[in-house]
Amino acid sequence: MKHLMTAVVTLAASVLGNLASGQDVGLPAPMDDKYCMTCHGAVGQGNVGVQAPRIAGMESWYLKRQLENFRAGIRGTHPDDEQGLAMQPMAARLTDQSIGDLIEWVGSFDYIPTTATIEGDASRGRQAYTRCASCHGDQGQGNETFGAPALAGQNDWYLVTQLRNFKAGYRGNSPNDQYGAMMVSMANSLTNDQAILNVVSYINTLGR
Amino acid sequence: MINSVTRRDFLSLLGAYGGTSALIQAGTALGLMPQPGQAAELSLARAGASGRRVAILGSGVSGLAVAWELTKAGYDCTVLEASHRPGGRVFTVRSGTVIDELGNYQRCEFDNEPHLYFNAGAARIPSNHSTVLGYCRELGVDLEIFVNESMRAWVQDDNFNGGRPVRNADFHTNMHGFLAEMLAKSLSAGQLDEEFSEAEMEALLRIIRNLGDLNEDMLFEGSFRAGYASGGFLDHGTKHAMIAFRELLKTRLAAGLMVTTDVGTGAGPVLMQPVGGMDRIPYAFANRLADRIRFRSAVKSVQVSDHGVEIAYERDGSRETLQADYCFNCIPSHLMTGIPNNFPSDYLDALKYIRRGEAYKAAFQARQRFWEDEGIYAGITWVNSPIQQIWYPPHGIHKQKGVILAAYDFGGGMYYTKMTQEQRIEELLRHGEKVHPDYRQLVEKPVTIAWHRMNNMLGCAARWQRSRDGWSAEEEAMYHRLQQPVNGRHWMMGDQISQHSAWMESALQSAHFALADMDQRVRAAAL
Ligand SMILES: Cc1cc2nc3c(=O)[nH]c(=O)nc-3n(C[C@H](O)[C@H](O)[C@H](O)COP(=O)(O)OP(=O)(O)OC[C@H]3O[C@@H](n4cnc5c(N)ncnc54)[C@H](O)[C@@H]3O)c2cc1C
Ligand code: HEC
Ligand code: HEC
Repeated sequence: MKHLMTAVVTLAASVLGNLASGQDVGLPAPMDDKYCMTCHGAVGQGNVGVQAPRIAGMESWYLKRQLENFRAGIRGTHPDDEQGLAMQPMAARLTDQSIGDLIEWVGSFDYIPTTATIEGDASRGRQAYTRCASCHGDQGQGNETFGAPALAGQNDWYLVTQLRNFKAGYRGNSPNDQYGAMMVSMANSLTNDQAILNVVSYINTLGR
Repeated sequence: MINSVTRRDFLSLLGAYGGTSALIQAGTALGLMPQPGQAAELSLARAGASGRRVAILGSGVSGLAVAWELTKAGYDCTVLEASHRPGGRVFTVRSGTVIDELGNYQRCEFDNEPHLYFNAGAARIPSNHSTVLGYCRELGVDLEIFVNESMRAWVQDDNFNGGRPVRNADFHTNMHGFLAEMLAKSLSAGQLDEEFSEAEMEALLRIIRNLGDLNEDMLFEGSFRAGYASGGFLDHGTKHAMIAFRELLKTRLAAGLMVTTDVGTGAGPVLMQPVGGMDRIPYAFANRLADRIRFRSAVKSVQVSDHGVEIAYERDGSRETLQADYCFNCIPSHLMTGIPNNFPSDYLDALKYIRRGEAYKAAFQARQRFWEDEGIYAGITWVNSPIQQIWYPPHGIHKQKGVILAAYDFGGGMYYTKMTQEQRIEELLRHGEKVHPDYRQLVEKPVTIAWHRMNNMLGCAARWQRSRDGWSAEEEAMYHRLQQPVNGRHWMMGDQISQHSAWMESALQSAHFALADMDQRVRAAAL
C-alpha cells in the first residue's frame, strides 16, 4: 500500500506540477470496504436521494444475512431490481472477514430516527399489520427467532420498495432464499399498492 | 414520396428557420449573448474585518471558482473535498490514475506519456462558454482545438447497410442529395411562385442544388463530396456508389447525424480542450488555492444559523468541525440529502426532487493509432448500440499509441453500469469490432467510468424535468428556491443549480450567481 501511494504521488507531481507536493493528494482512503456511507447517508441513516436505506442500528444477524445474500447473488440480481442491482456489486467483493469487520463497524453507528415521507391510511394498515406482527413483533421491533428484521424506524420509502419487490419477484424468489421466501406470500397478501402504503404508514406510527 | 412534402410543410419549415435566426440576431444586437473569452465581470467587495470565514463544500469547478474569487477578495476560504482529488466530474485518467468506482476500483494502466490521457468527465469546451474560457485565460490553461465531427468517421447500425459501417461523408452527401432533390421537385411544381420573386426563386434553387450537389436536371446522382472511390489525384476520380434513400432511413441515427457538428451550443464543429487534459482546469485553481483545500474530508453535517454555518466533516477517521460565516455547497443534491442538515423543508424537498443522471464512458489505450490509417484524425463515429459513440481524440497525432473513447452514453448508461468490469469490456469489444475489424487486437488497457457509481458523485447531470414538455411551474419554483440562500449564509450551486446541467459553464455561472448574491448581502449589511 505504502509503495503504491508513493508511486501515485510522484506521478501526480510529474504530471500536475506543484499541487502534489502538498500533503493532501494521495490515493482515496484505501478501499477498505467502508465506503458504505456514500450511499447509505453520512451517518448510515439512509438516503432517499440514492434509495439506500438506514443501516445504522440494524440487527447484526440481519445485516450479515443480507450482505451474504447480496454477495451470493440471492438478492439484487433480477434485471429490473434497480436498487438491489446498485447494492449487489458492493457486497460481491466482500470476504467473510470483511463482513465481520463491517458488522462491528456498522454496529457502532447510532440509530437516528427517520421521518415519514409517504401517505397512507394507517388505521387500515393497522389491521393488515396484525398478520405481520407474528413475525416482526407488535411494535415492529423484529424477531431473530423468525429471522424477521425490525421494520419500525426503517425508511418508509425503502419498506415500500421491498414490499413491491417481494410481490414482483425481484426479492425472495431465489431457491436459496429461505427467509425471503417467507415474505413473498405475506407481501402478496397486500393486494394492491394502496395496501402497501397503508401498512407502511402504520409501521411509521410505531416509532423507535 | 415526393408529393408528401406539401407546400404548407415547406413554408412552415422556412418560417421556423426564419423565426430562429431572427431571434438569434436580435439577441446579439441587444447584447444578450455573452461574448466569447470573457468571464462575466464579478466585482466583489473586499472582505471586511469580520465575517471573513468561508467554507466551500466540494471541489467541483464551481467550488473551486468560488474559493478562488473569494480568496482574491480577501476572504479566508476552506474547501472540504471528500475525494483525494479536485475537480469532481472534471476528471482526467492517465497512467496510474485511480478510478474510484464503488465496487469496481480500477487503476489506469496506460503508458506514462503526456498524450495518453482520457477525459472521463467533461471533455469539450464550446467557444461561447465564456466563463470557462475566461478562467482558462486567467489561470494560464493552454487550450487546443477539439473537433467534434469528422466526415471520415463511421456510421454503424446493424439495421442499416447490412451492419457494415459507412463513412459519415457518404451518409451526409447521400442524405443531402436526396433531401435537396425532394425540395427542388416541390419548388419546380410551381406552387411557391406566389411566395417568391423570380430572383428569389433562382437563388433558392441555386442553394438547393448546391446543398445536395444535384445535376443540371436537379437530380442527385452521387457526389465527389464523399471523396473518391478511386483516383482523384493523378487520375480522374470516381464517385462512391450511392446509398438508396430508403436504406438511409433505416437507421435511427439518421436524424441526429444531420446535426452532429455541434453539441447544441451553436459553437461546433470547432470546440476546445486544455492541452494535457481537462483536469488542467481544476488543478490550475487548486494549485493557487494550495492548502486551503482539505482533501479526503467528507462533509457529515451542515447546520445553518443566523450567524453562520457549522460544518462537521470526517478526515482520516476523525470528526472535525469548521465554523464559517458563509458556506457555498456543490455537493451533489442526491448526496446532500443523505447528510444531516437543518435546511428548511421546502429547500430540502427541492433537493430531494432532483434526480441523478447516469452517464457512462469507457476508453482503451490503442497499441497503434489505427484510425489514422483509416484517414480519421478526430471526430466521432456514431453507433446504434449501447456504446453509442467512438471518439478519436486528436491529441498525439502520428505518435505510435493513442487513447480511443470506446463508449459514451450520456443520457442513459445503466446498461453498462450494471455489468461487471469483464462484461463491460467484452461488450465494448463486441460492438467496437463492428466498426474497426481488428479492434480486439488493437486495443488494450481498458478503463470504464460509470458515473452513477463513482465515489462521492453517484451520478452525472442533475435531472430536473420529469416531463418532456419542459419545466413545470413547480420545477421552476423549486429551482428558484434553491438559487436562494438559507438564512443568507448557505448557497447550493454547481450545474445542478442551473437550467442546463452537464456543462462546466453552467456550474461556473451558478457559482457567480451565488457570489453576486452574497456580495449584495455583504454590501447591504455594511451600509
Ligand atoms: C460524462 C460527462 C461528460 C461531460 N462533458 C462535458 C463537456 O464536454 N463539457 C462541459 O463543459 N461539461 C461537461 N460535463 C459536465 C461538467 O463536468 C459538470 O457540469 C461540472 O464539472 C460540474 O461541476 P460542479 O461544480 O457542479 O461540481 P461536481 O463536479 O459535481 O463536484 C462535486 C464535488 O463534491 C464532492 N463531494 C461529494 N460529496 C462530498 C462530501 N460529503 N463532502 C465533501 N465533498 C463532497 C465531490 O467529490 C466533487 O468533487 C460532463 C460531465 C460528465 C459526467
Ligand atoms: C452504490 C451505493 C451503495 C453502496 C456503496 C452500498 N450500498 Fe448498501 N444498499 C444500497 C441500496 C440502493 C440498497 C437498497 C437495495 C434495495 O432496495 O433492495 C442497499 C441495501 C443494503 C442493505 C439491505 C438493507 C435491508 O434492510 O435489507 C444492507 C444491509 C446494505 N445495503 C449494507 C451496505 C454496506 C454494509 C455497505 C458498505 C460495504 C453498502 N451497503 C454499500 C446502495 C449501496
Ligand atoms: C412468517 C414470518 C413473517 C411474516 C408473517 C411477515 N414477515 Fe416480513 N419478513 C420476514 C423475514 C424472515 C424477512 C427477512 C427476509 C430476508 O432475510 O431477506 C422479512 C422481511 C420484511 C421486509 C424487508 C425488510 C428489509 O429491511 O429489507 C419487509 C418490508 C417486511 N418483511 C414487511 C412485512 C409486512 C408488511 C408483513 C405483513 C404483511 C410481513 N413482513 C410479514 C418474515 C415475515
